[in-house]
Amino acid sequence: MAVIDTRAVAHAKPETRQARTAWGLTAPALALMVLILLVPVFVAGVLSFSNYSLGNPGFDWVGAQNYERLFTRSTYEKMFIATFTYVVTVVPISVGLGLGAAMLVHSLGRIGDIYKTIYFLPVMATLLAMAIAWEFMLHPTIGMVNRTLAMACGTWAEAISFFKSGCADGFPLWLGDRDYAIWVVCFIGIWQGFGFNMVLYLAGLTSVHRELYHAAEVDGAKSAWERFRLVTWPALGPTTVFVVTISCIRAFQVFDTIEAFWPQGGGPNKSAYVMMFAIFEKGVQQNLIGIGSAITMLFLIFVMFLTLIQRWLVERRVHYG
Amino acid sequence: MTRDWLKHLILILGAIIVLAPFYMMVSYSFKSPGEIDRGEGGFFGRQEMMIDPRCVALRQPDRADIEAARSQFPGQDDAGVQSALLAETEAACSIRPAVFNYTKAFTEAPLLRYLLNGVIVTVSIFLIQIVVALPAAYALAKLRFWGREAVFGLVLFCLLIPVHAIALPLYIMLAKLGLTNTYAALVVPWTISVFGIFLMRQFFMTVPDDLIDAARMDGMSEFAIVWRVMLPTAIPALLAFAIFSIVAHWNDYFWPRIVVTGNRDLFTPPLGLREFKGDGDGSFFGPMMATATVIVTPLIVAFLIAQRRFIEGITLSGMK
Repeated sequence: MAVIDTRAVAHAKPETRQARTAWGLTAPALALMVLILLVPVFVAGVLSFSNYSLGNPGFDWVGAQNYERLFTRSTYEKMFIATFTYVVTVVPISVGLGLGAAMLVHSLGRIGDIYKTIYFLPVMATLLAMAIAWEFMLHPTIGMVNRTLAMACGTWAEAISFFKSGCADGFPLWLGDRDYAIWVVCFIGIWQGFGFNMVLYLAGLTSVHRELYHAAEVDGAKSAWERFRLVTWPALGPTTVFVVTISCIRAFQVFDTIEAFWPQGGGPNKSAYVMMFAIFEKGVQQNLIGIGSAITMLFLIFVMFLTLIQRWLVERRVHYG
Repeated sequence: MTRDWLKHLILILGAIIVLAPFYMMVSYSFKSPGEIDRGEGGFFGRQEMMIDPRCVALRQPDRADIEAARSQFPGQDDAGVQSALLAETEAACSIRPAVFNYTKAFTEAPLLRYLLNGVIVTVSIFLIQIVVALPAAYALAKLRFWGREAVFGLVLFCLLIPVHAIALPLYIMLAKLGLTNTYAALVVPWTISVFGIFLMRQFFMTVPDDLIDAARMDGMSEFAIVWRVMLPTAIPALLAFAIFSIVAHWNDYFWPRIVVTGNRDLFTPPLGLREFKGDGDGSFFGPMMATATVIVTPLIVAFLIAQRRFIEGITLSGMK
């Protein structure tokens, strides 16, 4: 017995010891992952079927009532419209501008680096501070935007109906106007995010082989557009998948600008009432945790769905070359 | 060559739009309220002496002051003394607009405290992230143990969950523990960076096994290997991760907004700026833009100094 025992220990010792240290090394991370990431998802899932409020002793199960409200009340209809308007506007434009800027900067060589630096500045800057700066820029009377527009008054520009009405009755209120509010927020989202996409595309462009362009030219791709369509765009496939996904996830999470412009209510006539703001307003400010959790769950589903699509596309090897 | 001109033209137009709010922010932080209202003064404003209305209001001479000052102005009646005193006060209260804006930024609100909080929070988040993620990444990359695939699978799954999205349940849990309005609340949700684990694991996979075996031969424990062998090899990756983490948390507004309510001692810079804006009656554009400039400047300056590193760090997530 003793002989077998010692042999087993001598044999298994390094293995088990390594396993034990390995678990010891991963334990803190594992515990925090469960407590901080998984438990909250579970908690939100459970609470979304209740009418829980912080400070109340008890709560009732309300079934799918919270979800039912999300799909029937007009407030939440506005929430979905605002969120999707934002995502559908900001993602394609900021990806497109990012790609365009990257191609221009790349073709200019070293001089182009100065533009890279400038376009990346908004990515670094505190968004809340920049939102407040934009709010001043868009101030209806003393803002730089309307002052600049007013300079066009009395010139040929008045032929355009926008300037004509602007010069006569004043230029738009921008943030106070429900026709403009969400678009202004979209504009700032694009302003802030396209530099990030540009940098990712620049990294992608440096990895496109020069020979591919020569080969395409030999094959008869004479125009710049043909070369882009046949070489650049396919080579940038993986970058594009990644850029689009991360832009989507960031766009879904828009909050800072909305809260800075409209601390209450999410814009004129709730036209900029996006999901993150709704979670904050319902769940935290109004303590309606059931409905806040239901929005959280929907939000998680959207984001996970997007990331899964991305992983699936990457695994299919998006670059066709 | 002509095509290059066109490219520059487009890029310069873009640069003007990108820079406009920065230009305005810095410019307003130098200007007097009058110049801001009328939109004059170029970039720096004229920097004429201006009178701080609040300072004058605070030092309004009352009867006692007039009595006390009577001897200084012999042969004048009360009104004369009062106007002389007022002129003195105004002289004492006049100040260059740029100086006014920046002193107000630091005195109207405890901006230094906010900046310090920002540093405390971002640095603690980063250090804890490293302490938690590095050993786990090492184990996942270099140690063989039963369940490793499952743990790595969990890491990959957790990558799908953005912390901002689960802010509400996290807030409820912290509130239940009585932790809202503490530094802990600002730091705890960010202590686990699944992305950090993933990134460091990928990096450690490229470290040759011989290095680790040699360390084991020297009798180093696995724990010591993590900190004395793996950490030094990982410095470039860690630096990129540091920039990624610090930029994200210095600029974060959503999470602090949720867990810190009212207690100014815990405000991070963006919260402080928000409070400043809420307090302002509209005439405080100058000091507010000065505050914004102060908050934005550290990262921008660091970025301009170490551009390449920053771009690497921020786009790090592109390495997935």
